[in-house]
Amino acid sequence: MPATSELDRVTSVVLQYMRAPFLVLLATYALGITGMSLMPGLDGAPRMNLFHSFYFFTFTATTTGFGEVPGEFSEAQRLWASICIYTGVVAWLYAIGSFIRLVQHPELLTAVAERGFARRVNSISEPFVVICGFGDTGSLLARGLSDNDRTAAIIDSDTERIKALKLRDYRVKMFGLCADASVPKHLQDAGVTLDNCRALVALTRNDEINLKIAVMARALNPGLRIICRATSAEHRGYLESVGGVEVVDPYDVFSRQLCSAIFSPQLFHWMQHQIGAVDFNPERSVALPAGKWILCGYGRMGRALCEALGRLGIPTAVVNPERVATDPGLPVVVGRADASALRQAGIDEAVGVVAGTDCDEDNLGILLAARKIKPEVFLVVRQNHHENELAFSGVDANLIMQPSLVTARQILQMLTVPMLLDLRRYLRDEGRELVPRLVDTTKALLGDARIHLWTEKLDERASALAVLSAQGAPVTLGDIRRAPNARDQRLQVLALVLNRGQVKTMLPPEETELQAGDEILFCGTERGQRQLDANLQNEYTLHYLVHGEERARTLYSSWFRRLYPGC
Amino acid sequence: MNLEKVIFGFFIILALTLNVGFVVGEISNPGHHSVWMLFTALLVSLVTTLLKIGDRSQIGAVFLSASLVANLQLIIATTVWAVGEGGMDQPPSQEQMVTIISLASGALVANIVSVLMLVTDTLMSRR
Repeated sequence: MPATSELDRVTSVVLQYMRAPFLVLLATYALGITGMSLMPGLDGAPRMNLFHSFYFFTFTATTTGFGEVPGEFSEAQRLWASICIYTGVVAWLYAIGSFIRLVQHPELLTAVAERGFARRVNSISEPFVVICGFGDTGSLLARGLSDNDRTAAIIDSDTERIKALKLRDYRVKMFGLCADASVPKHLQDAGVTLDNCRALVALTRNDEINLKIAVMARALNPGLRIICRATSAEHRGYLESVGGVEVVDPYDVFSRQLCSAIFSPQLFHWMQHQIGAVDFNPERSVALPAGKWILCGYGRMGRALCEALGRLGIPTAVVNPERVATDPGLPVVVGRADASALRQAGIDEAVGVVAGTDCDEDNLGILLAARKIKPEVFLVVRQNHHENELAFSGVDANLIMQPSLVTARQILQMLTVPMLLDLRRYLRDEGRELVPRLVDTTKALLGDARIHLWTEKLDERASALAVLSAQGAPVTLGDIRRAPNARDQRLQVLALVLNRGQVKTMLPPEETELQAGDEILFCGTERGQRQLDANLQNEYTLHYLVHGEERARTLYSSWFRRLYPGC
Repeated sequence: MNLEKVIFGFFIILALTLNVGFVVGEISNPGHHSVWMLFTALLVSLVTTLLKIGDRSQIGAVFLSASLVANLQLIIATTVWAVGEGGMDQPPSQEQMVTIISLASGALVANIVSVLMLVTDTLMSRR
C-alpha cells in the first residue's frame, strides 16, 4: 500500500539519523548515573540513590545547572560529577546536531510536504480542479478559477513556481505541491480519485509529460474529465484514442481567436464582454476591409494562423528568419522582419500585419517598423510572456493577444460555462446573422452594467417551477424573466443557451416552455440573478408572473374568494 | 382596495392593539388590568392564527409561528389567572398579576413581529 511504503521511508530516514545519537545518549546516561550512585559520600553520609543520581545527571547534562538535592559532595563525587558534565553535554550536542540534520533532510521534507498536501486536498469539501503545470497559463487559470470561487490542487515540478503560488492572494484556498505530476502517486495525492474532483487539467510545457499525466489520470479514475494541452497532431491523435480526453491546442485556439477578432469583430467583442474581459465598445467591432495580410513568424502558431486565414480565403505573405517548408504558392520572405523585409512582403498593399514570433522583443520591433512604414495598417501583436505586459501596454497596436491568456480563458470556459463555447461555435458557423441582433439586445437590456455568466439548473431548488408545472400551467422562459414588482418589465438577465437532455437550443425564444431538469446559461447582473432565483423559488411570485393575478395564499383567502368572488 | 386584505390586516392589528391595552399599567396592580381584555386578546389571536393557515411560502411559515407563540403565552396567562387563588372571582394577588403580565408582554412582542411582517410583506410586493 502506498501510505505504508511512505511511512517506511520516513521511519528508515529517522532511524538512520537518530539511531547512533540515541545509543550514545543512553550509554552516557547509564554510565553517569551508575557511577554517581557508586561514589562514596562525604564522611559517613550515604551514597546518592539511583533516582537522585538520575536527577543530578539530568540537570548537569542538559547544562541547566540546578543544585537543590545533593548536599555537599565528597572529592570522589566531585570527580565523577566533572566526568558527567563533559560526557553528558557532548552527547546532547551530538544528538541535537543529528536531529537538526534530520529535519533538513530533503527526503523527509518531501515526504512531509506530500502528506500535508494529500491531507489538505482530502479535506476539500466543495468541487475542485487539479491543475498540473503552473506556468503562465496555469497561473492565469488558477486566477480565473479563484474569481469563480472554485478551488484547485496544483502540481508543478518547479519549486519557485509553487513558492510563488503560496504568495498569491486568491479568493479561495489553492493547494500547491512541488512534484512530478506524471507520477501516479502524486496525482492521487492531488485528489484525482476523489468524488468531488471535477476535472484534471494538464498544462505543462511538455506535450510528452501532458500525455503521460492524461493517461495515468485516466487509469486512476476512468470517469474523470481530463483537459490536456497538446500542440502536435501526433499527441492529439493519441490522446483522442485514450478516450474522453478534451484536447486544447493553444496554437489552434489562438489562431481561431485571432481570426475571430479580425474577421468577426462584433462576435469577438461580445464574447469578450460576456467573460468580463473588456467593456463592450461597439466602435471597436468594425469589420476590416478584406485584403492581404503579412504574417511575421512561421512557427507552429504561424502555421495554424496561416491555415485559418487560408480557410477564410485571405491572401497571406510570410516573413520568417529561416527557410521553412510551406505550401507552394505562399509568398515567403526569408530574413529578419525589418522594414525592407516588410516592404518586400508587400506591406504597401497589405491591410494588416501579424507580429507573431515567439520572441516578444522581435514582435515589438516588427510592430514599430510596420507602424513607421504604413501608419494606418491594422497591427496584431502576440505577447508571449505575461511579465512583459507593461512594455506591450505602451505600444500602439490594434490588438494584443497573449496565447497563454487565450488558452487559460478557453479552459476556464470549458470548466465553468461550457455552454458558452457551444454558443460561440453556433454563432461562428451557423448563426452569423444573429450576432448583430444579439449585440443590440444585450446593449439595450444590460447597457454598461457589470455582468457575469451562470448556469441555472432547474432542479429541486427551483421549487416554484415544480409546483406550477404540477398544476398544469406552462411556465415559459419569458415568465421567469418578468420583474416581480412590474410584471411587464424584464429582469436584467438574458438566456443564451438552453440544454434539455442532449438537445441544445441556442438563444431560446421567450415562449420556450420550461421543464424540470433544464439547464439554462444566463448572462446578466448579480441583482438580476438574485431576483431570478427568487422568482423560481417562490410559488406565489411565480404564479403572479405567469397568470398576472395573486394566488390565494391562505385557506381563509381561498374561502373568502369562493364566497365573495370579485371582492 | 381589496376587502380580503382589509379583513386580514384588521385582525392582525387588532390582536396587537388589544394586547397592548391589556399590558399597559402597573405590572403588579390588578386594578390596571381587565380580565375581559385578556379574554378578547386571546380570542382575536386565535382568529389570526386561523387566517394565516395554508401559506406555503417562507414568510408564511414565520408569520404563522409568531401567531402560535402569541397564542401559547396568552393561554398560559389566562390559565394562571383562572387556577390561581380565588379563581377569576377575585382579583389575583400581586405575584400572580406579575406572572400574567409578563406572559402577556411576551405575546405582545410576538404580535409586534406579526404586524412588522405584514407591513414588510406589503411593502416588498409593491404591486
